[in-house]
Amino acid sequence: MAKAVVRKPKKKSNPLKSAKIDVVDYKDSALLRKFISDRGKIRARRVTGVSVQEQRQIARAVKNAREMALLPYSSSAR
Amino acid sequence: MSLRQYELMIILDPEIEERTVAPSLDKYLTVVTTEGGSVDKVDIWGRRRLAYEIKKKSEGIYAVIDFTASPATAKELDRQLGLNEVVLRTKVLRREESKAAAAPAVAAEAPAEADAS
Repeated sequence: MAKAVVRKPKKKSNPLKSAKIDVVDYKDSALLRKFISDRGKIRARRVTGVSVQEQRQIARAVKNAREMALLPYSSSAR
Repeated sequence: MSLRQYELMIILDPEIEERTVAPSLDKYLTVVTTEGGSVDKVDIWGRRRLAYEIKKKSEGIYAVIDFTASPATAKELDRQLGLNEVVLRTKVLRREESKAAAAPAVAAEAPAEADAS
């Protein structure tokens, strides 16, 4: 009989931002770059491991930063 | 008439002289002071690469301005900037007072916080 596979969800290493930042600012493009893929897409929450509220802040900040040409809408489209 | 705190980010044409930036910003911001607001902080980031081209320009001169004004004034300022040929792009956001005061200096050049609602 097959062993029941109980997959323990790996706890994400602390949301990396809870290090210090409590407010995500669209001007901080260095920080926001950690939350976008190399194609410029916003990384999913299951990848980033941040809370819902934080993810929402990040998404809004990224979108504001894109409008001001601090981040690309899309990059290196092959 | 209640006043609100705003944060304005502006991208200027890179072809203008860098030292004329501060005086011309002052000129654009006169509408804030004449209509009873105040300019709290002007932070000129300087030349910076754009992530994508705007009006065929790949660079821009960035500036971030914190000001206090009535909503009507903020709207008027944004309108006037939009008419200006030298201005590539603007963004006016509300600053949230509690957060704006408490926000630590972020890794970039400017502190203060931004939030569109």
